[in-house]
Amino acid sequence: MTTVLLVDDEPAIHRFLRPALMAEGYAVVPAMDGREALSLAAGQAPDVVILDLGLPDIDGKIVLQRLRAWSDVPVVILSARDREAEKIEALDLGADDFVNKPFGVGELLARLRAALRKHRPGRVAPATIRTGCCEIDLAAHRVTRNGEEIRLTRREFDLLALLARNAGTVLTHRQLLTAVWGPSHGGDTQYLRVYVGQIRQKLGATEQDPVILTEPGVGYRFADAG
Amino acid sequence: MASPTPPRASPDALLALAEREGRGKLRVFLGAAPGVGKTFAMLQAARAATEGGEEVVVGIVETHGRRETEALVRRLEVLPRAQIPYRGRLVPEFDVDAALARRPRLLLVDEYAHSNVPSSRHPKRWQDVRELLDAGIDVWTTLNVQHLESLNDVVQKISGVRVRETVPDSALEEADDIVLVDLPPDELLKRLADGKIYVEDTAARAVQNFFKPSNLTALRELALRRVAARVDSDLVERMQGGAIEGPWAAGERILVCVGADAAAARLVRHAKRLADLMDASWFAVAVERPGSDLDPAARARRDAALRLAESLGAETRALVATDRVGEILRVARFENVTQIVVGRARPKLFARLFRPSLPEELVRSADGIAVHVVTSERGEDARRGWRDRLPDPGPLRGYLEATVGVALAVGVGHGLTQVVALPNISMLFLTAVLVPAVRSGVWPAIYASALSFLTYNFFFIDPLYTFTIARPHELLALAIFLLIAVVTSAVAGRAREQARAAIKRVRATRRLYEFTRKLSSLPAADAVAEAAAAEIQAIVGRSAVLLREQAGELGVAAAWPPEDRLDTASMMAARWAFEHKEAAGADTGTLPNVPWLFLPLVAGRGPIGVVGIEDAPDGVHLDAERRSLLDSLVEQTAVALDRATLAGEIEATRMAAETERIRNILLASISHDFRTPLASVLGAATSLTELGDRLAPAERADLLVSIREEAEHLDGMVRNLLAMTRLEAGALEIRMDWTDLGEILERVAAAARRRGATQAITVTTTPDLPLAFADPILLDQALGNIVGNAVRYAGPSARIALSASADDRNLSLAVDDDGPGIDPALLPHVFEKFIRASAERGDGGEGSGLGLAIAKGIAEAHGGSVHVESPVTNGRGTRFTLVLPRRRIAP
Repeated sequence: MTTVLLVDDEPAIHRFLRPALMAEGYAVVPAMDGREALSLAAGQAPDVVILDLGLPDIDGKIVLQRLRAWSDVPVVILSARDREAEKIEALDLGADDFVNKPFGVGELLARLRAALRKHRPGRVAPATIRTGCCEIDLAAHRVTRNGEEIRLTRREFDLLALLARNAGTVLTHRQLLTAVWGPSHGGDTQYLRVYVGQIRQKLGATEQDPVILTEPGVGYRFADAG
Repeated sequence: MASPTPPRASPDALLALAEREGRGKLRVFLGAAPGVGKTFAMLQAARAATEGGEEVVVGIVETHGRRETEALVRRLEVLPRAQIPYRGRLVPEFDVDAALARRPRLLLVDEYAHSNVPSSRHPKRWQDVRELLDAGIDVWTTLNVQHLESLNDVVQKISGVRVRETVPDSALEEADDIVLVDLPPDELLKRLADGKIYVEDTAARAVQNFFKPSNLTALRELALRRVAARVDSDLVERMQGGAIEGPWAAGERILVCVGADAAAARLVRHAKRLADLMDASWFAVAVERPGSDLDPAARARRDAALRLAESLGAETRALVATDRVGEILRVARFENVTQIVVGRARPKLFARLFRPSLPEELVRSADGIAVHVVTSERGEDARRGWRDRLPDPGPLRGYLEATVGVALAVGVGHGLTQVVALPNISMLFLTAVLVPAVRSGVWPAIYASALSFLTYNFFFIDPLYTFTIARPHELLALAIFLLIAVVTSAVAGRAREQARAAIKRVRATRRLYEFTRKLSSLPAADAVAEAAAAEIQAIVGRSAVLLREQAGELGVAAAWPPEDRLDTASMMAARWAFEHKEAAGADTGTLPNVPWLFLPLVAGRGPIGVVGIEDAPDGVHLDAERRSLLDSLVEQTAVALDRATLAGEIEATRMAAETERIRNILLASISHDFRTPLASVLGAATSLTELGDRLAPAERADLLVSIREEAEHLDGMVRNLLAMTRLEAGALEIRMDWTDLGEILERVAAAARRRGATQAITVTTTPDLPLAFADPILLDQALGNIVGNAVRYAGPSARIALSASADDRNLSLAVDDDGPGIDPALLPHVFEKFIRASAERGDGGEGSGLGLAIAKGIAEAHGGSVHVESPVTNGRGTRFTLVLPRRRIAP
């Protein structure tokens, strides 16, 4: 059984999330503040953590930082939409994804699944990833659409592959830029806008099937097929 | 070609060109004498311009009834003249304001040198023209060469006629074009004989003298030379502006020492001609000995000479120094002066023996500076009679003291001769001469020496008790007494003078310092303005007024003695001073008939106001010393006022930032407060829709309940926000009704429990509690907010007690808890908006910080109040009391 550590200081959140998570088959370990969360994370070894950033005792980002010192358990952040900077900071600190408050339960469950999938122990990265009508062959560096090969530049392919490997979870601008362009380009978000645009165009992305989803102000997310 | 450095455009030349851009262009039709046809030439040129499509308007043209001229004027638009009241009749004058309002491309203004009727804006027409040029209007005007200021005395010498209407040379130098209107003297004389030249009847005889062939030729030469010089300087300017290599200005700088004598004006003109010849910049300096009490006429002469210099383009300075030569040379060195012009009165034998004259001293000490000595003309010295040169006879007290001193000397001498045989008793009298010499000046000292000689002779020299002088050498005593009296009193006088000057200087410095200190200690601009007006009045001794610009209008900000407004003419002058950043009003070239002198307050970012000093009723202007002190005061006022204004602006900005901060806190707290219940509602609802079947029935029921509760919570918050908005807008609707307070307490307690309060909440009421006349819904809200506050902060296991009680006047509702109490620092602010405990928790804290503010507002809307007490007992606990006024039920 998958154990979820649910960290939030609002009893009202626990009140509806607890039954929802249990109905999905998770075991729920509740924590009301940061200290409790850290001790439970150590003691109960949860498989995934849902972490509210606004905690009464320790800031959620600091909880995350301390947690990441010894654990790479997947973490999904709960945050307000107007606290973009905080959210990005948390993602750069190693959070796997975020959900804006208020949120639908379905959205949170999907993020949890994606985060868990990424961290599944002993997981072998698939050689090919399918999205819509496109197939990305990571080993052969080939992308095909309806069997027809699409020519991508090296950078375009690297970017697409990075997003595809983390399908379903968000990657911040900084994470993408640092991985593809190098640490000195961490702030050049205009590269991403151009490259993502080109990739979408080459892959024949549409509004219904955008291939790469934009998380405004935060980063990009590869559309999750499953 | 050996030209290592490329020619550089002279900055001065470029600046002069740049200044002209945006400004109107001035063309002067210059003639040698009246009647050469300047006005006619101007009008003809204007007609040509009109035919070329130019917009030409006649500001003022005197046709003097000449038909050809009138015909030319008739073709052009003519501005109506202003009617200026003067001595009981209306005098038509050129209307500057009409011209400024009409704003033609090109305006014709005849007779550049014309003097306006007093009470016009400017005393001279050329000043009107300058204002038009500043406004960007092109102007054509006419001028005769004899009206030029620097040629004034030359013209007088040539023609024997003193020209009163003059134009400063700078006003001609400003001209972009000079058109020479030339007519040979013979033809001019013929025109005169034909009666074609207008002359005023009164001047008929002067005209006879003036229109002589020799005069006209000389004047013609002057005009021609003037224009030729102008052409030359234009050429040089263009060459410099275009960086064409050629002759550069020699860099000569001339300083002229202006005195208070009649030759001062002539000296200034001489310096101006010299400056023109050398193409040099020049300064006029008046150095006064401290404490020298010039008589008003001399002072006026000196000030007039300085003003003349200024109008001729000099920089002027009035200095006070004991060492005149040293001070002149100090200024000269500082300003890199190469030539000094100094006047020299006809040498007096006596003066020459004792003291070298100013020019002589200058020549001796001015190393490397050329000194021009301009000798005086016959008649100029005579004006200063011998009486003027005599020192002040001094006070009567001095003579009394001298008499007593001599009497003492006689007494003591007499006593001494009884005891010892003194070889020379005259020593005693020496003392009697020295004392008044040191104390009272030269006249009492001379009196004392004469008296001493007489008494000495009378009492101590044989034959005793007669004035007879037996031996001639006894007269030597008198000579010695006199010499000592004169020398000592001169030395002592100089020392006294220096001491007085030093004291005066110290006093002025201290006054300035105290003024500055006083102003800088004031925080608000209004206070600075008021203090400045009062202080300036006290220091200068004239009524002072300070005007500031507020909302684009110049208005009286402070005055001493208090004054609310100025008359229209004064306001006009004040505005002019403000807009042009120049002095205006009395004692200036702009609106000099106004009884105030206005000085602009100029700060770094432009003019910020005007200081006005009332002219003395007898029209005596401020002397140079007080004027320079006033300048310093005004400068300091500007600095202080600017500082205070800036400080005020910073404060306003800070306030705005604070308001912004509070707004942000409100937004953050409201968005958080709304988000949490919304998240619950949305989360519970989506759980039900998406996981419905997989949830246990009890869980489903709980989710539904939570949705209802959170929605109620949201409703409560919306009600609070609305109430706050209404309270602030004064639009809270109160529906008064007879209300049972016990019922309200129970309802509030139940609501709190329902909202998940874990604390033990008790309700106590007295059995005979009267009904309150209040709005039950609002009271619910007020009390609910107070209880909500207790639930939030008292701790999960606290006890909360609600109680109601009554006395003769009031009904009180109390909410007690035994929680940790309120932070003493926060206690005075609990009823303010957006104040809540643990504010550093930007996200976690519940509550918008509005609840208690609303409770207070509701209580006050009922004519009641709220109070808080914390801690209550043993350093713990908080008690909120809501007090309502009691109303008897009408029988």
